[in-house]
Amino acid sequence: MLNLPEPMMHHRRSFFARSGHLLGGAAIAQLAAAAQVDASSGAHPAQGPHFTPKAKRVIYLHMVGGPSQMDLFDPKPVMHKWYDKDLPESVRMGQRLTTMTSGQSRFPIAPSKYKFHQVGECGMWMNKELLPNLARKADDICWMRSMHTEAINHEPAIAAMQTGNQITGRPCLGSWASYGLGTMNENLPTFVVLVAVPTNRDQEQAISSRLWSNGYLSGEHAGVSFRSKGDPILYINDPPGVSSSIRRRTIDDLNRLNAIAHARVGDPNTQTRMHQYEMAFRMQASVPELTDIASESAHTFELYGEDAKKPGTFANTALMARRLAERGVRFIQVYHNNWDHHGNLGGRMPYQCKDVDRPCYALLEDLEQRGMLDDTLVIWGGEFGRTIYSQGGLSKQNYGRDHHPRCFTMWMAGGGVRGGQIYGATDDFSYNIVEKPLHIRDFHATVLNLLGFDHERFSVKYQGLDQRLTGVLPAHVVPELLA
Amino acid sequence: MKQSTLIALVLAVTLWCLGDRLAAESPQYNRDIRPILSDKCFSCHGADSASRKADLRLDQRENAVEMGAITAGDLDASEMIQRILSDDPETLMPPPETKKALTAEEIETLTRWVEKGAEYQPHWSLIAPKKTQPSAVKDEAWIKNPIDRFVLSRLEAEGLAPAPEADALTLFRRLHLDITGLPPSPTDSQAFAIDYGRDTEAAMEAWIDRLMQRPTWGEHRARYWLDAARYGDTHGMHFDNYREMWPYRDWVIRAFNANQPFDQFTIEQIAGDMLPDPTDNQLIATGLQRCNITTNEGGTIDEENLAIYAADRVQTLGWIYLGVTTNCCQCHDHKFDPISMKDYYALAAFFRNTTQRAKDGNAKDGLGPVLVLPSDEDRPRWEEVPAEISAAEKVRDDRRSVAEPQFDTWLTEATPHSFEAGLFADQNILRLPLDEAEGDTIRSTSADTKKPNSHRSPVAPQWIEGGKFGKAPQLDEKSHFELGDLGRFEQDQPFSFGGWVKPLSKKNTGSILARIDQSNKDRGWDLWQNGNAFAVHLISEWPEKAIKTRVYQNRLQENQWQHVFATYDGSGKAGGVKIFLNGNQQPLLVEKDALPTDASIVAETPLRLGRRSDGAPFTGAVQDMRIYRRALYPREVKALANLPAIHQSLAQAQEPVAEVTDQEADPEQQKHNNAKKKARDEVFEHYLATLDGDFPALSRSVTDLQAEQAAIRNRSPMTHIQRERKDTPAMAHILMRGEYDKKGEQVTADTPAALHPMREGAPKNRLGLAGWLVDPANPLTARVTVNRFWQEIFGRGIVPTPEDFGVTGTLPSHGKLLDWLAIDFQQNGWDVKAFFKQMLMSHTYRQSAQTSEDKITVDRDNALLSRGPRFRMDAEMIRDYALASSGLLSDKMYGPSVRPYQPINIWDLVGLPGGNTRDYVQDAGEGLHRRTLYSFWKRMAPPPNLNAFNAPSREVCTVRRERTNTPLQALVTLNDPQFVETARKLAESALRNSKDTDSTAAYIAGRTLCRPLGDDERSIILGAHRDFLAHYRAAPDAANKLLAVGVTEPATGLDPAAVAAWTMVASEMFNLDEVLNK
Repeated sequence: MLNLPEPMMHHRRSFFARSGHLLGGAAIAQLAAAAQVDASSGAHPAQGPHFTPKAKRVIYLHMVGGPSQMDLFDPKPVMHKWYDKDLPESVRMGQRLTTMTSGQSRFPIAPSKYKFHQVGECGMWMNKELLPNLARKADDICWMRSMHTEAINHEPAIAAMQTGNQITGRPCLGSWASYGLGTMNENLPTFVVLVAVPTNRDQEQAISSRLWSNGYLSGEHAGVSFRSKGDPILYINDPPGVSSSIRRRTIDDLNRLNAIAHARVGDPNTQTRMHQYEMAFRMQASVPELTDIASESAHTFELYGEDAKKPGTFANTALMARRLAERGVRFIQVYHNNWDHHGNLGGRMPYQCKDVDRPCYALLEDLEQRGMLDDTLVIWGGEFGRTIYSQGGLSKQNYGRDHHPRCFTMWMAGGGVRGGQIYGATDDFSYNIVEKPLHIRDFHATVLNLLGFDHERFSVKYQGLDQRLTGVLPAHVVPELLA
Repeated sequence: MKQSTLIALVLAVTLWCLGDRLAAESPQYNRDIRPILSDKCFSCHGADSASRKADLRLDQRENAVEMGAITAGDLDASEMIQRILSDDPETLMPPPETKKALTAEEIETLTRWVEKGAEYQPHWSLIAPKKTQPSAVKDEAWIKNPIDRFVLSRLEAEGLAPAPEADALTLFRRLHLDITGLPPSPTDSQAFAIDYGRDTEAAMEAWIDRLMQRPTWGEHRARYWLDAARYGDTHGMHFDNYREMWPYRDWVIRAFNANQPFDQFTIEQIAGDMLPDPTDNQLIATGLQRCNITTNEGGTIDEENLAIYAADRVQTLGWIYLGVTTNCCQCHDHKFDPISMKDYYALAAFFRNTTQRAKDGNAKDGLGPVLVLPSDEDRPRWEEVPAEISAAEKVRDDRRSVAEPQFDTWLTEATPHSFEAGLFADQNILRLPLDEAEGDTIRSTSADTKKPNSHRSPVAPQWIEGGKFGKAPQLDEKSHFELGDLGRFEQDQPFSFGGWVKPLSKKNTGSILARIDQSNKDRGWDLWQNGNAFAVHLISEWPEKAIKTRVYQNRLQENQWQHVFATYDGSGKAGGVKIFLNGNQQPLLVEKDALPTDASIVAETPLRLGRRSDGAPFTGAVQDMRIYRRALYPREVKALANLPAIHQSLAQAQEPVAEVTDQEADPEQQKHNNAKKKARDEVFEHYLATLDGDFPALSRSVTDLQAEQAAIRNRSPMTHIQRERKDTPAMAHILMRGEYDKKGEQVTADTPAALHPMREGAPKNRLGLAGWLVDPANPLTARVTVNRFWQEIFGRGIVPTPEDFGVTGTLPSHGKLLDWLAIDFQQNGWDVKAFFKQMLMSHTYRQSAQTSEDKITVDRDNALLSRGPRFRMDAEMIRDYALASSGLLSDKMYGPSVRPYQPINIWDLVGLPGGNTRDYVQDAGEGLHRRTLYSFWKRMAPPPNLNAFNAPSREVCTVRRERTNTPLQALVTLNDPQFVETARKLAESALRNSKDTDSTAAYIAGRTLCRPLGDDERSIILGAHRDFLAHYRAAPDAANKLLAVGVTEPATGLDPAAVAAWTMVASEMFNLDEVLNK
């Protein structure tokens, strides 16, 4: 319950008492409860799930740029025989290329320079050389090798992955989760965004706040970006020279003055404003505790590594994601950049993997140890995959790869996902899908299912249409992915 | 679950009340029926032919009757009614699987409608507005102008009484905010209150006029328009670099201040460039169409980008002028509104016929049409120079004609040596042709010496075939040459060096040409092979005092000839070194840039070809090496690199012409002659540039003028404008499913078929479109515009979906009023000021915002106007309010955008390396305190303190902002340094201008609440002040820290604890709901 100053409670009581003749007792109680949620967050009440969710919260690790599936998770040993040979036209089938390679005179195949190992009971073949820690979690993970999308350039592809539509302006997955399930912690935002800074920054892609915008959902469902430099939430800290007791006093004075104005004018928005300031105060009080990772045990840093102490690293971000999840944040969106390996893949991939390998392992392990993995869905993946043929120069040790939307690998764990399985398969060239294609729409439908929603019914009215994350084309929940 | 039960309950009650009222009259199609049909039926039985089921349309009476769905007055014969009443899931409509079940209320309404005759109406917004008289009102005395009659008659029908008139100070604050966007000064408030007390109407008239004369009027109105125009200071995609567009913003402000009639305002923005002899202002106005976001991302496809740009312009046009959401029609016919795909692409065609490019080049001019706006000082030259360029070009070209016969004579006898005589000689101190072809000795020349010198290698080099000028020597560990005491350069002298090089392997390192003393910390300079890159060293003491810079993009090509040349400008900085590969300047990576100005680079060792004093040998062939005692111009380096080609051309040009005798020309001979002609032209260009006495000077006068033009362009503001392509009519292809590469039928530019036609003879281009928009026959433009203006004042449009007047938009709350206003606006010559004045003079506007629980129950959103407008101000108004109250607000108008306070890390988080909007450099002075309208708008990271208050990103047209209340907003107004600083400044001026605590509190209240304090309020504020003062007296450090927020110096001569205490009071006042609301 909120600690509200007396005048306000009075007003609320009198308001509902006088509405009594219209609604009857039970309705009043519900209305009061609804108004409580409504006014305290300044927000509309959540829609509520269609059925019991398996995942209460989501940590979505987006690898910006599009990681190379055949160098990490989708081994194609037969390609070694194809070194520097042209990709057969029968495989390419004349489909769309980016203008970065569409002008190339030939498409020479670049076999992966990495050795793959089979790991876990599930027998997943993966790049254990660069991802030794993640490999230890293979049996908790659901490996999806047959993801595909239509988009071929970053901006539209990331938009499609996050919002289900290549054209910007739609709400993203996190906003939908916020809209559908609402908050679990009145002191923190429902949907938080963390942007990790990669060690290597050779070829980053643009990521902007439009990615976590609320689209046509109302503004409170936009992601709130936590920052690694400066204030963790913009303007969360009191100005220098203003103590918490002074701030408390300010809020109390505001409440009293606003109550006078409310008595005079009667605008219910004045009450909303009072709640808004109370919530801001509570947020101010809880964020320092949230961001104080020094309170973590030595065990935590053994798990995540020393990098976790450095603000902005992926390790630090992963740890923050866990702390946010622990405190009831519904959706945590993490971005890690620089996976766009058009050139020098051999030089850059080790940095990328080193950034994420141990923290991903640590995050899964940590959630499990805390008994949270069962109801926390962890997602890892980029916006598309990469081509088997080399872009630019090719040697056995080094090569670049262009964007490839026709197949790529993502993984999920926890939150009602059936771990220890490899879903879908691609051809020898990791160019086309040969088994169980998994469109991003199906992926979205499945994630919504884990969150307790029937994606076809989970909609909002906008421009006269029932807008859905999964859009108008057919989308299917994939039962095999579910535990 | 509980929520939905609750909602259902509330709905049921509301419907029950409404139902009672509606039962009396028969259902009207637009008001009662279409909302049901469009929600539940049209997606299968509507306008979209692709998704239509059973060929049945329920949106057209004719079809519905013909198909037997509706038989007027006969329920049994109306299949639609039978189907919606059916209890058989097989026949029930809507089909259960669509989850669109009709409510009992809806079924009842539809049934009654069919019973009463099933009359259809065209959609209201497509019927031309009519000026009708409102129903009579009971309280005639309340009416101040026609607006009130419409509003009051509705209120009376609803059984609501209007709110009492607001008191003078409240009313004036509202007026002031609505007209200027700023709070009133206490002086003005007082003056108004006195005038108002004397004569209410006269005071309103006079003060509205007076406030509208202030330039802040235009700034405030412009802000709304710039949302709609999607104005921003960056391109919006990928690099999101700077775009220069602010002259358009200035134009909008000026247009409102000049009260430009809205039709003219429209015509100039849609087609200013197509008006006869357009003025600069008319061209700037077309910037509306160039505000769309653009990209330069490498992989994007031009055709697709252009399709997206056009789509954005159509959407903007639709939202600003037509109240139609057009974007659905990119892929299919509109499901609800009468707009087909063909209509859509016909509209797109108006905007696709432009000279804009598909990629913006990440450049501020976006590589598209711009208007350069030179200063008054530059303007005369800017206007003269083009003619001078043409004249100079003519003189130059005349000289070319005169020189041609002389050249042809010269050509017959020219040799490579005569050709080069006197060329490249200026300040040349060394030339090594390296074309001896054999032996251990080479010769050198220079501009200063007549006789060549000779130099010996310890071991004779191997002379290899395939050099650029015959056989060339291959250097290695044993073969190298000492060249004597040449190249004794100090770091403040410019010089240049280099030549043709063919390195044996890209793995080697070594000095190609060096004067470096390895026994003295590598002092000297050299041209260096750094593995797969060429590099230059200037060294005093390696590695501490040295410059090293190398080529990093274009790798050295092993075992191939390349022309490598370095120039150095004597600046002592790495930036003064340029390296050219094959005549092209290369991007360089600076490895060291640490040469102190007093550190000598003169080495006491001879100049050497192929190594340094004691080693570092180069392995590879060399030819035509040169050193100059000056920094060569890039074009000179280019000419040097071009020499072998010119030699070849000369030889080719001197070959005999092959006779082509036959009519059927011999293709081989033709080819030969063409090549010869080309070679001859090349030699001629070279001849003109180097041997003709007059041509170089004439040519230089052209380039000088061009440089002058470029310099003015570079230092002048510019703004994006629209330009029509002259060579093609406005056309577009229908894109199947909206995909740029699936072209369908070609359509010419045209307006939607369902709306009024373009005037007879009107051109099918943007000029015709502009005329069509403001044509009195257009039922939409005026309505949509007055509705938006209404929304600015009342917080909610008469149609609350200002972008959508279509079937899926919300119906007008006061349809007749909207029509009356629209026609009145047109009849008054689209006079914007007069239109606003009329709204502000109405009794409707003057009502107090006071409400009651009854009113909230019936009219929560104030759609019925049962009280005065009260809503949270927009982001910009909140910031401007604080700045104005504190006295910090700068009144400077116009010009480039400014960069106020912003937390660190907002831009670089989303910015790309190399982008020019990655680092936010905050302004130091006035720029911190300008009106928010002038704040720099980076579209990928808009100002976060505005963003928190629902300011849009300006990526797309916005005609309605959201108005949410979130805790993040409270954090901004409490903690943002901008607001802390304004609170302190207000505290300081309050302390300066008052004699006791009471009057200090009153001063602050006068500038925030704009009214005197009530007793209850005063006692809270004074209590707060007392406690804050005690706190800060006890904690002087805290007081000083608080006072140090912001760049403005704390006032001198005031007690810091007192300032701190009043700062906190002022901050409280800024954060009051009453202050944050209009």
